[in-house]
Amino acid sequence: MLNRARQLIRKKKNVRFLFFIVVLFWCIGFASQSLFPGSGFAIVTYPVLKRFYGTVCHQVDVKTFSFMGHKLFVCARCTGIYMGALLTSFSALFFSPRLKLGIKLLYAAILPVIIDVVMSTLDIYRYSKYLAFFTGLFFGSVVFIYILDAIENHFNGNKIDNNE
Amino acid sequence: MNKQKLFPPLVSGFAAAVLTTVPGVKNMGCCLIVPLAAVLALFLDHKINKTQLPINFKTAVLFGILTGIFAAVFSTLFDVLITFITKSNDFVEALPQTEMLISQYKLGALLDQTMAIMHQMVHDIKTYGFSFLYTVGIFTSNLLINTIFGFLGGLIGMSFLNKRLQNK
Repeated sequence: MLNRARQLIRKKKNVRFLFFIVVLFWCIGFASQSLFPGSGFAIVTYPVLKRFYGTVCHQVDVKTFSFMGHKLFVCARCTGIYMGALLTSFSALFFSPRLKLGIKLLYAAILPVIIDVVMSTLDIYRYSKYLAFFTGLFFGSVVFIYILDAIENHFNGNKIDNNE
Repeated sequence: MNKQKLFPPLVSGFAAAVLTTVPGVKNMGCCLIVPLAAVLALFLDHKINKTQLPINFKTAVLFGILTGIFAAVFSTLFDVLITFITKSNDFVEALPQTEMLISQYKLGALLDQTMAIMHQMVHDIKTYGFSFLYTVGIFTSNLLINTIFGFLGGLIGMSFLNKRLQNK
């Protein structure tokens, strides 16, 4: 019993570590031009990474942050979402609070994003990179918790097999 | 998996591909289009095929990945079609800027080889409206990214729909 519990904890830690590494590499990728300015790696991979991240982001210049003189490959909102996921995945390595995740938190996380997108698109107020970043940051952090929860529940054996 | 089960990921994958091709919508949805399409696929499956809730992990992952694959196939098709008609695309338009940026650094043979490949792709697109290498490149990147985001969307969809059931 104790062994099984230990195994589960180890598995949980491994999953969290794996997620952290994946998110970290993803974030290094979209900031590679700023993190390794002028390096062979950054220059040669520029067209490839630009196209790669372009699959999931519009990459509009005015909506993108510059860091150390180079534009990131994703817009401010996407930067926020990925940074939120990175921060949460890093915290998850050390803290494991028992959260009872309801649906309201997910609504609360996506609502600011939707409101900001609608308001700025309809020109009710001017688009702000910082607002987009922070709404994305909150959304990314919360969504990551849900994803982690779904995966950990699966590995912990709380499988729901109604459909089989 | 029967044909009826394939229908929801096919429809939402197609919708995601359309939305990622329409520039204005892509600005709004950004990286959330494919994950939301995966959530929609699970929701449609529940409604159309009367799949019982709660959704299990395997179904969620399968639907997410399938949505990502369909989205990648359709968005590549749209991209190829638009490129064929217009004989130009973002890659062709951005190449001079990319070249200017890259040429500031002296990288020798490595840079020359990279630029030669890119120029060949641009030449093919401008002449024939199609470049095999470009198509393989965009399909690979679409497939990889959309599958990952579809997988994540499937998990979010599972959490969302199951928690909604719990609330009821």
